Amino acid sequence: MSTLKNWQELPFGGVILEAGSAAKYETGSWRTWKPITHREHCTHCLKCWEYCPEDAILLEDGLDAAGEPRKFVKEVNYFHCKGCGLCVRECPVNKEGKVFALESVRDEV
Amino acid sequence: MTNGTTEKPKLVAITGAGACAQAMRQINPDVVAAFPITPSTQVVEDFSTFVANGEVDTEFVTVESEHSAMSACIGASAAGGRVMTATSSAGMAFMWELLYVAASMRQPVLMTLVNRALSGPVNIHCDHSDSMGARDAGWIQLYSENNQEAYDNLVMAARIAEHPEVRLPLMVCQDGFITSHSIQTMQLEDDQAVRTFVGPHTPYHSILDTDHPVSWGALDLQDYYIEHKRGQEEAMRNALRVIQEVADDFAKTFGRQYGLFEAYRLDGADIVLVVLSSAAGEIKEVIDEMRAKGEKVGLLKIRSFRPFPYAAIATALAHAKIVTVLDRSASFGAHGPLFTETTTAVYNYSTSRPLIMGQTFGLGGRELTLPHIEHIIRESRRCVDKGEVGNRQGLWINVRGDKS
Repeated sequence: MSTLKNWQELPFGGVILEAGSAAKYETGSWRTWKPITHREHCTHCLKCWEYCPEDAILLEDGLDAAGEPRKFVKEVNYFHCKGCGLCVRECPVNKEGKVFALESVRDEV
Repeated sequence: MTNGTTEKPKLVAITGAGACAQAMRQINPDVVAAFPITPSTQVVEDFSTFVANGEVDTEFVTVESEHSAMSACIGASAAGGRVMTATSSAGMAFMWELLYVAASMRQPVLMTLVNRALSGPVNIHCDHSDSMGARDAGWIQLYSENNQEAYDNLVMAARIAEHPEVRLPLMVCQDGFITSHSIQTMQLEDDQAVRTFVGPHTPYHSILDTDHPVSWGALDLQDYYIEHKRGQEEAMRNALRVIQEVADDFAKTFGRQYGLFEAYRLDGADIVLVVLSSAAGEIKEVIDEMRAKGEKVGLLKIRSFRPFPYAAIATALAHAKIVTVLDRSASFGAHGPLFTETTTAVYNYSTSRPLIMGQTFGLGGRELTLPHIEHIIRESRRCVDKGEVGNRQGLWINVRGDKS
């Protein structure tokens, strides 16, 4: 988390002067369950990225089987992930019930 | 008098509500959002005439409720405008949530509050239940004895509220019907002189400044909320100084001097009455009569209730033998708010220990007549002679069934 400011340093009325500053806010400390990825089972359908309310699923660039550029799931950003479990619930691989591509485990804080 | 520009200061016969509408016309705010409610109706009614006649270029928003009125005011203020409204009683009660939002977001919205009792039973006449209930909302509260003071307070309001070290909403309170509907003679200042005194409005991080986008009203949790509240408290402390500075400048410009309170015949006063707003007029009358007969009595009329000038009041009351506080609102199960604040001032900001007596009067417009005031002063003298307030503490005045 960024350094907390004293009251004298704050603009009035809680106005936020910087666009996108929510990215500096650590919601990861709220977590009791954490999603972990099993990349060997992931189909990179990006459903988890689509559903994540905190934009905590990080993607990376790559090429698909036909050599076309596309996005792949890279990892979970635990600074923002608050452990809601939506990604685990919505994962189509998980829904098939054989293996987990995303799994909720007890967070060790 | 409902319209017409003023080219030089002149004496006019006008109601308290009409006087505030005139001040609003002269200030020419960017936005007024209001919903009429008795007895503040004439403020909005007159002002809407000015809008219709093109005497102001204000965006006048006719909202469907007071909740919407204050919401629109906050939005317009955050958009960088100078914003005004008017209401009373249940109207302000319906703004409740937004009163806090305006103060917390540090939007210097200006309000004429025509004090009226809260229901029930339904009553449209004066007491201070509405503003006293809102005393912790974070608004500056200035109280006015008469039409001139209501007008003058509103002329001073923008410079106090918009001061860069204050940035808080401000309500100018006047007594419903007693002041709002009574025609009195007062000095209406020149339009241009008022506009020059008030000056231009400087927006603070306007949401319409698209080159510098900002977010207002975001979630604020355990890590920052209390720091923002601390800043709000500091603004109120600064307001104590700024209210006086603006009053001094007002005196230089227009010749009428105001303070945080008015000390009326306090020299050598054994008995000091403390009161807000219009009741001060009758009390001064009785004080003059009783002073002529040798009774050492004076009045401390509070103008700024929020922020409350504790230290200065304690100094002003240091030589009193009894301080008799008259509250025009009830805090059921406790003493009235003016009594508790005055007691806090005297007993914590000075070493003197006068008797302090609190009494309640005037709820729902019940009259406080000259004989009532004379009675209160005589009873105060008896308390001084006995050295105690005793069972007179907390009495209600002029209530059938009670012996006051």
